Amino acid sequence: MNKTRKIEMTVELIRILVAVGIAYAIALVTLFLISEDPVYIIQQFVLGPFSSVRRVGSIINQAIPFVFTGLCFCFMYAVNKFNLAGEGIFMFAGCMSTLVAVNLGEGLPFPLMVLILLVVGAITGIVMIAIPALLDAKFKANIVVVSLMLNSILVFLSIWVLKYQMRDPSIGAMGSYPLPDNAVLPNIFGKFRIQAGLFFAIIAVILVAILFYKMVFGYKMRVVGSNPLFAKACGINMMGTIVAAQLIGGALAGMGGTCEILGNYDRFKWTASTQHGFDGLMVAVLARRNPLLVPVAALLLSYIRIGANVVNSKGDIPTEFITVIQGIVILLVAAEEFMGGFKKKMIYKAAEESLAKDKKEEVEEIMSEDSGEGKEQ
Amino acid sequence: MFTLDWFANFGFSVFRLSTPLIFAALAAVINRKAGMLNMALEGMMLSAALGGVACAGFSGSVWIGLLGAIIVGVIMGWVIAFSNLSGKTDLYLTCIAVNLAATGGTVFAMFLLTGEKSTTSAAIRAYTLPSVTIPLIDKIPLIGPMVSGHNILTYFAFICVFLVWFFLYRTRMGLRMRAVGENPQAASSVGINVKRIGYISFLYSGVLCGLGGAFMSMGWVSFFMKNMVNGRGYIGLSAMNIAEGGPVGSAIASVFFGFSDALATTLKSQGGTFPTEFIDMIPYAATIIALVVISSIRMSHLRKIERGGK
Amino acid sequence: MAQEVLRMEGITKKYDNGFVANKNVTFWLNEGEILALVGENGAGKTTLMKVLFGLEAPQSGQVMMNGAPVKILNTLDAIGKGIGMVHQHFMLVPSLTVAENVVLGIEPMKNGLFDFNAAVSMTQEVADKYNFNIDPKMKVADLSVGQMQKVEIMKVLIKGAKIIIMDEPTAVLTPQETDELFEQLLLLRDSGHSIIFISHKLEEVKRICSRVTVLRHGYCLGSYDLKDMNESDISRLMVGRDVVLKIEKDDPKIGKPVVHIQNLVKINEAGKHVLDGISFDIHAGEVVGIAGVEGNGQSDLSDVLSGMGGFSSGTVEVNGNDIKGKTVHDIRSMGMAYIPEDRMEYGCAGNMSIRDNIMADRFFKKEYKNGLFMKEKYINDLVDKYIQEFEIACDDRNQPVRMLSGGNIQKVVVAREFTSGSNFILANQPTRGIDVGAAEMIRKTIVKKSREEGTATLLISADLNEVLECSDRLLVMRKGKVVAAFPKANEVSESELGEYMLGLKTMTAEEMEGLL
Repeated sequence: MNKTRKIEMTVELIRILVAVGIAYAIALVTLFLISEDPVYIIQQFVLGPFSSVRRVGSIINQAIPFVFTGLCFCFMYAVNKFNLAGEGIFMFAGCMSTLVAVNLGEGLPFPLMVLILLVVGAITGIVMIAIPALLDAKFKANIVVVSLMLNSILVFLSIWVLKYQMRDPSIGAMGSYPLPDNAVLPNIFGKFRIQAGLFFAIIAVILVAILFYKMVFGYKMRVVGSNPLFAKACGINMMGTIVAAQLIGGALAGMGGTCEILGNYDRFKWTASTQHGFDGLMVAVLARRNPLLVPVAALLLSYIRIGANVVNSKGDIPTEFITVIQGIVILLVAAEEFMGGFKKKMIYKAAEESLAKDKKEEVEEIMSEDSGEGKEQ
Repeated sequence: MFTLDWFANFGFSVFRLSTPLIFAALAAVINRKAGMLNMALEGMMLSAALGGVACAGFSGSVWIGLLGAIIVGVIMGWVIAFSNLSGKTDLYLTCIAVNLAATGGTVFAMFLLTGEKSTTSAAIRAYTLPSVTIPLIDKIPLIGPMVSGHNILTYFAFICVFLVWFFLYRTRMGLRMRAVGENPQAASSVGINVKRIGYISFLYSGVLCGLGGAFMSMGWVSFFMKNMVNGRGYIGLSAMNIAEGGPVGSAIASVFFGFSDALATTLKSQGGTFPTEFIDMIPYAATIIALVVISSIRMSHLRKIERGGK
Repeated sequence: MAQEVLRMEGITKKYDNGFVANKNVTFWLNEGEILALVGENGAGKTTLMKVLFGLEAPQSGQVMMNGAPVKILNTLDAIGKGIGMVHQHFMLVPSLTVAENVVLGIEPMKNGLFDFNAAVSMTQEVADKYNFNIDPKMKVADLSVGQMQKVEIMKVLIKGAKIIIMDEPTAVLTPQETDELFEQLLLLRDSGHSIIFISHKLEEVKRICSRVTVLRHGYCLGSYDLKDMNESDISRLMVGRDVVLKIEKDDPKIGKPVVHIQNLVKINEAGKHVLDGISFDIHAGEVVGIAGVEGNGQSDLSDVLSGMGGFSSGTVEVNGNDIKGKTVHDIRSMGMAYIPEDRMEYGCAGNMSIRDNIMADRFFKKEYKNGLFMKEKYINDLVDKYIQEFEIACDDRNQPVRMLSGGNIQKVVVAREFTSGSNFILANQPTRGIDVGAAEMIRKTIVKKSREEGTATLLISADLNEVLECSDRLLVMRKGKVVAAFPKANEVSESELGEYMLGLKTMTAEEMEGLL
């Protein structure tokens, strides 16, 4: 059956590529149909992200928060809990980091300041994600509903903090006091203007991959996610593992929010949810919950997003249409039956070959054994 | 402040705000009885709300608008049924994807139709479904102003509670649906097409979500607004969850959530120095608290039995 | 010769995972006969019947009814052509009434609505005609297993089936219920129905069938007249060698008690006493068997001992430690190993590798880790050793368990539990649904562990042969109580056991004195 395993892996890879291809094609067709100057718009959508050094830089820049939330959802996915609080946490962690940064002021050295703020983001994430995680574990309250309700609450909470705790009255729009200089992540790689959060993202990916595949906790988490009843029968502390995995995920989402604020903004001014959480869900689905593939999926999503932004600025087509494409990608990648027929055919073929081989022997063997025993009617 | 009028107004707004929740909860009930947890009510209602406004605007008839909302709701239901039942996609993931696509998709569609990105109020003429004054009852003090003069869909929501109950417990399809929800193998072994029942349950929940969406954009207000359903789909789902899938219980839970919504709205309009952000949280916090309270009651009940109490 | 009502010609069925369940099988059924379809687990009986019933589509082959070729596309088609199937696992909706279950799919209507009263009278009619004593208005959830099976048969009859497939119908019945079922089957045969009787129990086949068709490894070995065959002939055809029914074992060297159960009571969610004052000990070096009709508290006992479910009152001690309120992890570290009843649900994680499955109960021990990391090399070598030792047929240790056959999956479970270093093994249905070779190996290992390593074993099994052969001491459970105890399992006759299992006889506390 070794063949079956190989076929399954190959088909899986082809499937994801085809799914992304189809979704991308749908995006192109949509643009083509609604645009007044289709050729130009499509060119902008496809090539726009590469048209300047800065844009290439922003592909990477945008991918950084996706990596964090994508990793966050890898944990949710690994223990099979659709805890969507990462969405609200991303915003609220950015808010809390800003609040701490503004209050600490310029006194501390840069590395210490950034470290403190990352810890603030992580703790915010842990505390907030613990709410749906614990309510699910203790009371079996539907985790999706609770986490989504929590997201709404976190949005209002962030706005309240912004409005009453750190609003800068000197600017017209709603915004916090500016971040102190020692908290701002510098841009690196010169013209690319990539924020230094990239380093944190890379470190996070490596650590998470080690945790998943080399560490005892990762193993425990995979057993729990793959068959909870089996984990229970083996004496694995399920509740603890499930909650702990979610807390780690929450910490990652929180740090993502912090990095985003420190790297790309001069002050906190979000007044609505950022969608980074749901983007992270798609990244995790695309990466098939493998943390090592998360950066790839994040870059892909970021590329499409930047393409949409370019189109938005050039042709006035709203970027929202990308969320539809995202929905399609999730559906296609997650659909078992999508290209299932293809997989079946491949497996049949392999089975047929091995069948033909041993059929003869087996028949002969059985028939020779049975000759003389019992009468054929 | 707490005059008779105040109570009458408050009661009125409880019923008004319960309406979309009841529709959502009933849609969830039908899916649940067929064995599925529909978390895409949010996206289905949002799309239907836009569909209703658009159809009403282009046809000039509010009734065609209502039909349009229902059709959009059904289409969304079909998409979920197709990817879950035919495509074998995880239902949770399907619903999350559909909600995601609906959030952006409605904005995109609104832009294509009107060139606007946040609301249709300027671009499409406002249509509202008629309100109904109940003769005699509207003369009773307190009760009259509370229950009379509602949008026609509000009354229909309460009628639907009965219709859904009747469908589930008195018709052949309802019997089959409950059989499928409880033991799909048993149903399919006697030749019931389980997939078909699943599709039908999404068809009906699509209709109900269509009605709920139509109420949002053509009853509650008279235009479509970005993300206007605002978690009501999930709140309706929680109402179903609390009542364990019973249609009447779900409706009662919906009215409770409508109450918390009305409370938030009333408190906000009262003014005062209390930050509105916290008032805005009430409906969401109420949902979480209700879910936790109900399930902890249920669990302690089970524990009591296990400990040997009669 | 009787007229042929059904013929399946050259059926080949391959599953998605590449498993070929039927290879060019030909099979026929005459009018008014009870035909036995026998074969080992995994020989392809159930698949063949699923093809006949329209649940699976074969890659090649043809079905003919009354001489004419037919196409059976789905279940509805099969029912329409007069084929009915009584499934091994009941296909009932517990919250609905008997009548609603019976008419499901052909519901009577009145004014466009479901007519419950007509459903009740239709059900009553069938019940009267074929002598089923059952109240159509009862909820299925409240019925006994034997009554549920009657509901299943009524479901088939009410749809006018002439060909009835019975998939291991006696597996869950008591001997008395089985007798009742057989009378009914003979009655059905005499009224012109043709019955395909799938069973593992050869004495039952011999008792009511006239002809037997044997499948092995997906091939059909032919049909034989049962007049000319004895049970060992059939058994030889099925498995290709003589089944070892006897397990050679020495007398146990009984040591100190490892498990001590005193007055154990468990009340379930519905308020029923599923375990009602159970007391017994399991000593080092002995295998204690639990016999009983399924659903008399055996599963609950296994849940309590393994820590999967709590209990209401009483004392349970493993190696002197009270397990009240303890987790599975705690009880395992007291020295318990656990082979669960349902291997796919509780015994393994299908998508994970053999290696990961074997590590699941011990990965946290010092031996297997370096700080926070796992000792890859050490674990791999160990798993390779177990694969050899327990003869697990696989590609390598990284193969996902779901790709293995049932017997090999169970060997993975057994390899884990038997090497966990425990001195108490709780084996719940350790050989259910697996091939004879694997079952034999597992049974022998259970006995060997107790003799060589002094392990205390509790063997819960619905397979009477298994409990009688493997156990030293044998207890019988009924309605949550221990109703009989025998010092030597292999000296108990099946008929005597049956009387205790059914509650025709109960031992008094004095009779069981010293045996618990």
